[in-house]
Amino acid sequence: MPERVDVAVIGAGPAGLAAAIAARNHGAEKVLIIERAEKLGGLLPQCIHNGFGLLYFKEDMSGPEYEKAFVDMAAGAGVETELQTMVIDLGEDREITAVNRERGLMRFKPGAVVLAMGCRERARGAVGIPGARPAGILTAGTCQRYVNIDGYMPGRRYVILGSGDVGMIMARRLTLEGAEVAAVVEVMPWAGGLIRNEVQCLHDFGIPLLLEHTVSFIHGENRVEGVTVSRVGADRRPVPGTERYFPCDCLLLSAGLIPENELSIGAGIELDEVTAGPVVDQNRQTSAPGIFAGGNVVHVHDLVDWVSWESELAGRSAAAFADKGKLDVTGAIKVSPGKNVKYVVPQLISGKDDVTLYMRVAQPGLGAVIKVGDVTRKRHRSVRPSEMINIELEGRVLKEAGVGGELVVDCETRGSD
Amino acid sequence: MADLDTEVLIIGAGVLGAATARELSRYKVDVTLVEKGVDIGWGITKANVGVVNQGRDTLEFRPEYHRSHLLWRSLSMMEPLCAELDVPFKRVGGWLMCWDMQQKEKLDKCIKRTESLGLGKDRFHWYPELKEREPHVTDKVLGGLFDPEISVVNPVFLTQALVENARSNGVRLMLETEVLSIEPGHDHFTIQTNGGAIKTRYIVNAAGERIDKVAAMVNADDFVLFPIKGYVGVLDRKCGGLVNGLVSAIEDELGTMNIVVPTVEGNVLFGIQLQINRRGDHSTTEQMARKALDNARSLVPDISANDVINAFCGFLMFRNFEIGWHECEVGMSSRVPRFINMTIGYPGVSASPGAAAEVVEILQKDGLAMEPDPGFKPDRTGIPDFSKLPDTKKRALIKKDPRYGHVICRCETVTEGEIVEAINRGATTLDGVKHRVRPGMGRCQGGFCGPRVTSIIARELDIRETDVTKKGEASRNLLYETKELLEKGAEDA
Repeated sequence: MPERVDVAVIGAGPAGLAAAIAARNHGAEKVLIIERAEKLGGLLPQCIHNGFGLLYFKEDMSGPEYEKAFVDMAAGAGVETELQTMVIDLGEDREITAVNRERGLMRFKPGAVVLAMGCRERARGAVGIPGARPAGILTAGTCQRYVNIDGYMPGRRYVILGSGDVGMIMARRLTLEGAEVAAVVEVMPWAGGLIRNEVQCLHDFGIPLLLEHTVSFIHGENRVEGVTVSRVGADRRPVPGTERYFPCDCLLLSAGLIPENELSIGAGIELDEVTAGPVVDQNRQTSAPGIFAGGNVVHVHDLVDWVSWESELAGRSAAAFADKGKLDVTGAIKVSPGKNVKYVVPQLISGKDDVTLYMRVAQPGLGAVIKVGDVTRKRHRSVRPSEMINIELEGRVLKEAGVGGELVVDCETRGSD
Repeated sequence: MADLDTEVLIIGAGVLGAATARELSRYKVDVTLVEKGVDIGWGITKANVGVVNQGRDTLEFRPEYHRSHLLWRSLSMMEPLCAELDVPFKRVGGWLMCWDMQQKEKLDKCIKRTESLGLGKDRFHWYPELKEREPHVTDKVLGGLFDPEISVVNPVFLTQALVENARSNGVRLMLETEVLSIEPGHDHFTIQTNGGAIKTRYIVNAAGERIDKVAAMVNADDFVLFPIKGYVGVLDRKCGGLVNGLVSAIEDELGTMNIVVPTVEGNVLFGIQLQINRRGDHSTTEQMARKALDNARSLVPDISANDVINAFCGFLMFRNFEIGWHECEVGMSSRVPRFINMTIGYPGVSASPGAAAEVVEILQKDGLAMEPDPGFKPDRTGIPDFSKLPDTKKRALIKKDPRYGHVICRCETVTEGEIVEAINRGATTLDGVKHRVRPGMGRCQGGFCGPRVTSIIARELDIRETDVTKKGEASRNLLYETKELLEKGAEDA
């Protein structure tokens, strides 16, 4: 017999914690977080840098501090946890199969589920770097875990491919630990992460950021001995004749994050091709009734604070669903990305309730005007793909505008950054 | 004085050396298998797409070649062998497609030839029927020849199983043992290795990429080989439905070197644009990757660059074009008695059981006493694959050993129990564990499980985590402890 729970949350990172707390605080009796790692917090414990909680707590916190605040809240709210437990299957009917050492194979039949599996880093194969296959190639996040949790330095001289936030943060971290970061290499004409990280982690430490470059070859049969870096053309492919050799013993990859949706796919949940996360409505319900999602499993966020808020919404909705057995968005309006907009979440809104749209632009630009159909316009001095943009829409205004069917979000810019 | 005295010394623990060792373990013969590397099956064998029972109907098949005979002989051997050794084997069938009527005539010739040899079960199917069986292939093909016998195995798993079984039947395995020189004697050879001297009556040279180098040590290099390499891309498991079986097409006179094929584990591989290579160069290049993807997409347009999770270089030793590059080298050296060379080129894994059986016959014919060992046990049990077990067996396994309830690799659902068992069976490195039970083979390529597998290896082998390697001594994964560089820097200052 599957075990009954009101709300099951898969993943105990910032998204899962916030969702579980919100579910408890909104009436769900038995809320269970299932987490594969040995402790709660997801990747927060290894993020020992600051910059967390500026929005949520109005305080500059480190990852472990942010984690502790939420873990304490979860304990206070009476959230139950099952650690070192891997969910190996999620059914369309919300039945969860999980496994751990002590209890073996377990089945849960939750009233509602919140997906909070977060995201994973793009690995070498996905990035597609030619060359040999030596030791010393790893993702920035894995390196962060080795350095900050396990206590190991994978190498002494690094080249970092990709200028995602984790990569830039690790460039600084490794430098502080006595290693040398020869360069951060970015294929695009702009940095992949936040400006504050570009300034505080690279510029302040004199680490070169090579824009429109890529690692075109990895050298070393057993251990990385160096990489060839090439300029890229408009097609983002290496330009012959521009090769430069960088000796190094480690290549870090920070070339994108991918929402972790294998369980969602297994449950037949519809995914958005651009976000690679589930298509969700304003309550963060996926295409499978009673299965909600929040945080980086839906779309990769720039700040953890937004992850917490979005997941609270998912947790609250899950509690409501567990109580009533349904939570539909009536008269749903489809929200679609238009000109220079990469994606918009949620993809479905009622057109009657207050709602916040999260979006990213495709290209950076100055003097941006973001237009949400004919409903509203919002000006931004500059927009960058690395920064999430939030647009709050009032239900009253939406109703007055009489939006039906589809709402397209466009972003027009004056010039480039 | 030799440190070891043996009757048959097999050099190289790839699939050919392993198959020969296992075949010889049926008899009361003293057999030693030496391998230069830290693990088995890591040379040409690992760089293989895992297609077996192929070649009977393809264009490069030539009945007059020795290689073809080894292949026929192996056709009926592979499946029972895999069953004995508990190695996953899947008959997926395969297509050789053509684009126009002129090419169809070539396929018709293939069919006639295999029929005349009594081998052919393959038939030509026009596009609509082909499309029904392989819905994702391109609409541009005219039709294709279907060979129902084509199957897939994991060549490294097969090699490991062969060696495990051979060892349990008395074969001696010596890893990290490199042959440095060979001195022929009147009725024996004396071999110097980095681990001491070995005296042996026979040598089976299955040294893979180094076969000619080893043969040259004793002037038995009466053949010319050259290295060749190709690109193999790996697609995410979620693309498993793209092809049901092997898909390839007639490209040119050289044969059918562009393929898309499912693996026995459920991924899809694509690629193999063979090119002449520098020996020891196992790198992929951007051009190879691009060309392989373009070619694969010309066969199966739904293949997406976004789903490529890994890529590797396939490589092998080929006979010189001028003397017939479809030929192999399996037999006693014409210059040096009791010295057997063994290399097949493509497809070596398919032909390995037949080649091993032939080597045994050669030894027998030459006068080696081959008394069957009544204690020979043909069976071996594989490491349990937790993710594939039915629920009742999953529960039972965790009850017996709770480590099977601890999932370490989420992408491939690999448990701590499986990883520990891989180490117990000889894995000493990250790649050793990966190529036995697959943690890190999935879409995240070890991002999540890498640190955890490192800890388990260190714990089980009682070594420091900084001494855990990817694939042997020179490939340590974690070079320093945190703060070590700062301390070093302070010392330098």
